[in-house]
Amino acid sequence: MGLSAVITAASSGLNAYQIATDVTAENIANVNTAGYSRQTVQLENAPPTTHDGYPLGSGVQVASITRYYDSLMQQQLVNAGTSQGYDTQKSTVLQQVEPTFNEVANDGLGAAISNFFGAWQDVTLNPGGTSERQVVMTRAQILTDNFHSVSKSLTDAAATQNSSLVPLTDSINSTLTNIAQLNQQIKGAATVSGSANEIKDQRDQLVSDLSQKLGFKYTENSDGTTDIYLAKGNTNYYLVKGADAGSLSVASAPPSGNYTVTAHDAYGSTTTIDNSVYSGQDGGQLWATLQMRDTIIPGYLSQVDTLAKSVTDAVNTQHAAGFTPTGATGQDFFTASATVDGSAARFSIAAGLTTATIAASGSAGTPGDNSNALAMVQLTSSLTVPSGSATSTFSSFYSNLVSQVGLDVQASKTVVTQDAAFTKQLTTLRDSNSGVSLDQELSNLMKYQRSYQASAKVLTTATDMMDMALSLIR
Amino acid sequence: MRVTQNMSSNNAIYNLQQGAARLAKLQDLTSSGKNVNTPSDDPIAARLLVDIGDKLKSSDQYASNISKATSWLDYTSTALTGMSDIINLAEKVAGSMNSGSADASIRQSAHDQLVELKKQMVDLGNTQYGDQYIFGGASNTTRPFNQNDNTYTGDSTQLGIEISQNSTISLNVTGDRILKGSGSSPSYGSTDILATFDNLIAAVGDNSTPSNVSAISRGAIDLQAGAQQLNNAVSDVLSRTTRLDNMLTLNDNSKNALLAIASNVQNVDYAKLGVELSQQQTAYNAALATTAKIQGMSLLNYM
Repeated sequence: MGLSAVITAASSGLNAYQIATDVTAENIANVNTAGYSRQTVQLENAPPTTHDGYPLGSGVQVASITRYYDSLMQQQLVNAGTSQGYDTQKSTVLQQVEPTFNEVANDGLGAAISNFFGAWQDVTLNPGGTSERQVVMTRAQILTDNFHSVSKSLTDAAATQNSSLVPLTDSINSTLTNIAQLNQQIKGAATVSGSANEIKDQRDQLVSDLSQKLGFKYTENSDGTTDIYLAKGNTNYYLVKGADAGSLSVASAPPSGNYTVTAHDAYGSTTTIDNSVYSGQDGGQLWATLQMRDTIIPGYLSQVDTLAKSVTDAVNTQHAAGFTPTGATGQDFFTASATVDGSAARFSIAAGLTTATIAASGSAGTPGDNSNALAMVQLTSSLTVPSGSATSTFSSFYSNLVSQVGLDVQASKTVVTQDAAFTKQLTTLRDSNSGVSLDQELSNLMKYQRSYQASAKVLTTATDMMDMALSLIR
Repeated sequence: MRVTQNMSSNNAIYNLQQGAARLAKLQDLTSSGKNVNTPSDDPIAARLLVDIGDKLKSSDQYASNISKATSWLDYTSTALTGMSDIINLAEKVAGSMNSGSADASIRQSAHDQLVELKKQMVDLGNTQYGDQYIFGGASNTTRPFNQNDNTYTGDSTQLGIEISQNSTISLNVTGDRILKGSGSSPSYGSTDILATFDNLIAAVGDNSTPSNVSAISRGAIDLQAGAQQLNNAVSDVLSRTTRLDNMLTLNDNSKNALLAIASNVQNVDYAKLGVELSQQQTAYNAALATTAKIQGMSLLNYM
């Protein structure tokens, strides 16, 4: 014992502060890395030895390098991510659908219906007039085009949702594989050196990313790995179990060509992703996509179909009751539609209907009579469209639909705004705990530099003292 | 609470985004001049606007119906007035011949005048509006009257047209009601004007046939009744025209009221927007300034 103990203590200081500076450098370098948790070096005094009869420490040593990580916060972030993924997807698609119903400028389907019956008004004033009859045909064609266009844009929106399932599940699968690989590395690192802070950060970041796309539950295991599973009733389907990954697969089911999404868990059992797995926001982007495709867009489409069917039926019944200028009767105006489903897509002017065979007259042999045209006009104010348990007029049914789409879009936008605020708040809280503060790191850097300088000073002093002691011998 | 640079920069981005979104919304409102540009801006107002838009469309259609009906009735009224004039002329002829005449040339000239007047009467009965015979009822694509006999080949259908929601008005006056004195609801009288002319023509005689004085005076009485019948028809037409005028005013009023409601909901208040815009501008500038100032501060500046 003696001066060598001083040298040991000083060199332990040099070593410890070099590691501390390393950690500071790592923190500063990763200040902008997504999901990075700041690390600190935990110093402790080295075990004491006896110095000239006095027990004294033998310098400093690095106990561990720990990361600031709050598992509860991670759980909250994952949950918020899932809701946000669901709401954002829903809102985006709804906003794409909304222009189809943008009737505020009064030039869409609603206007086409009004204009069609307006053309019949002109026929009442000149039942035999070719130009008035031509206008009815033209308006009927525009109405047809409008029904087709609305129906097509809704069908297309649903089809886009369907085809987006393929890249979405691909990206989910690759994330699942990556998480499983990182789990394996964490397990490996744990057996070798005990800490795998960076790999854990990467894994947790992937889990957060995945939460936007897919709703899931997860558990953090004592070996540092994270398991990801879907809960269906009381059964858990593990998409990641330690180092093993499951996957999602899509298979198209004829005749609709809609994809069914199936989860294959790490043990090999499978389950279809449906409403027994998710109930709403808890399903993330994947479930929102399925909901838009299967429920929300078809819901709008079925209302448009109902309207198309009502227009077809009401106009046909009235038209068949009338007489053409040559006395023919019983003819349809629009092609009859047997079922409500697809009525808007099938909407068309009946084959063979021409300006000469429009039935404006109420009795045979009176081409100048307008009573059937007048009855046709009055369809606009009759309650013909089934709407819930009641019935409504064409225009009020359609303006209700416009209002409903507007409400849906507005609600989804509001929810997305709330989600963004909530996520921002959680991110702030996470950053407050785990984020890197440059000022703190710089201040640490100066502190460690000073300490390193001091230890070095002690070392040179001890060396001087050692030289002095040796010169006594000389 | 521990504050990191990323926290303040994330906060700054979030809040600047919010400010930018508010500014964009104000800009959207100002440049479009409309409060509701998509249904989701205000679903309830959107519903109202769609309803009003629909009502305005029907309102325009009713205005067009009314104006067409008015000109139809104007034609009718002109024709009926022409018929009244002819009856007046015929009455004069009948008056001048009321005691008959021994002069063959006078009888012949009265005869010729009456024949011409009847022809004119039949021509007026075949008045067309566009290519429709206005006195033909629903069979208005063929002439309702002819010069050869007194039959009416039209029908007595009253054509209705809509002039406001579920409110219709009869457009036409049928030929049988005015010239044949038949038909009911409305019935203008029971004088067969065409037959009266024929009787009168026979009564005045011609250059070879002597006058029948009692038949002439009977004919004169019938002509008076016919004139009354036509007057009844004219006043019916006038009352319909008045109703159309009233409906047009009513239609205009309701259209204006609807436009006022729509513009109340739809048009932006530029003064209010201007104030909000300047508030948002100030807030956004302040946010930008503080962000730049705070982000620039670091221990590095002093090391």
